[in-house]
Amino acid sequence: MRKRLAGIITLALLLGSSFTLVGQTFGLTVSGGLASSRMNDMKYLQEHILSTYPVPGKITSSFPPYTSVAISGFKQLYDQIRLGLAYSYTTTGGKSSYADYSGNISTEMTAISHRVGGYISYRVLSGSRLDLSLNGRMDANITSMTIQSYYEIYSYYNGLSNKYRSISPSASVEAELMYKLRGFSLGINAGYLADLAAELEDVENGDPLLDPNDLERTLVSDWTGWYVQLKAQIWLKF
Amino acid sequence: MGKHITTIIVLLFLSGIQACFYSDTEMYQVEPIPGDPPLFSVSTNLDTLYNPPVNDSLEVTFSVQISGGELYYLYADVVNTTVYESDSTYGSFWIYPSLAESSGVDTLYMEFYYSSNSNSLADKVGYEANTELQKYAIFFNLEDEP
Repeated sequence: MRKRLAGIITLALLLGSSFTLVGQTFGLTVSGGLASSRMNDMKYLQEHILSTYPVPGKITSSFPPYTSVAISGFKQLYDQIRLGLAYSYTTTGGKSSYADYSGNISTEMTAISHRVGGYISYRVLSGSRLDLSLNGRMDANITSMTIQSYYEIYSYYNGLSNKYRSISPSASVEAELMYKLRGFSLGINAGYLADLAAELEDVENGDPLLDPNDLERTLVSDWTGWYVQLKAQIWLKF
Repeated sequence: MGKHITTIIVLLFLSGIQACFYSDTEMYQVEPIPGDPPLFSVSTNLDTLYNPPVNDSLEVTFSVQISGGELYYLYADVVNTTVYESDSTYGSFWIYPSLAESSGVDTLYMEFYYSSNSNSLADKVGYEANTELQKYAIFFNLEDEP
């Protein structure tokens, strides 16, 4: 796992170091939109926690497509190819709850992904105003998962919170359509992220987050899914 | 033009910050449908006695019959003092004359807490109860104390 991660980081650094080798033009992009995530194990854990409620609760959200933002810096190597470094932030979560006149009980899961890596972009079509590119990206994906349970019955309340993390390699491919304006471009990109599911461990004590029905298995985070974002791009000339 | 675009981008950024933190404020609200209340009755050895006397001591025995529910707890108080507490459906305890300061009739309170069957969250975790209060007049007889 660590070797794989080291490999990804090395690749990202190599891509980044190529900035100084060739080319003259640099740019920055900022994008924001929605990303879906598979998170099968977390959905499964959510179902299990709900089944332990003393009352018939309900899952009100289960890892829906949610916010994904990214920032990247790139260098135009050739007319059609650019290399860059990128950071992405994605979040989603789930909640189950029950409330009546006597009190309430709820469990909230919040998942955050920080992806850092390198990307390569190939411009497929170029017009006076529109550019269509295909991008490929490889990242180290750091997941932070918080699970909070809370109950309040009449005047008595209690709760607990656990934080887990995982690190996984991930790769994505996307198509990007940009409309060129003076000094900057606006557009849209959509793609698919494949995340190599990684085992979650407790941040405080390193204990694995085990499957409550199979203590031999550790639950994993999995951000595999589609994403679509609006994108802004500016050129920096040095 | 550039100024406007910068302003628009800053505004978009500020309005989007909230969306960067996942939250679900929905709470599944339920109106519990109560079940039939438990059938509760209690019998004691004092039921057929009129002002039973506490001479050197008085034993109180009780038995709870409850159907469709669960007894949580019993408190027995006399002269502002808890003389007995239990979660058992039967048992006995003693009352001594030293509890009273003078001769006379006082009241023994026996308060039973049992499941409400309201099907609420509090009911399901045993944190909500119906109560049944039984009162018995007892006579503290300090005159005959040695």
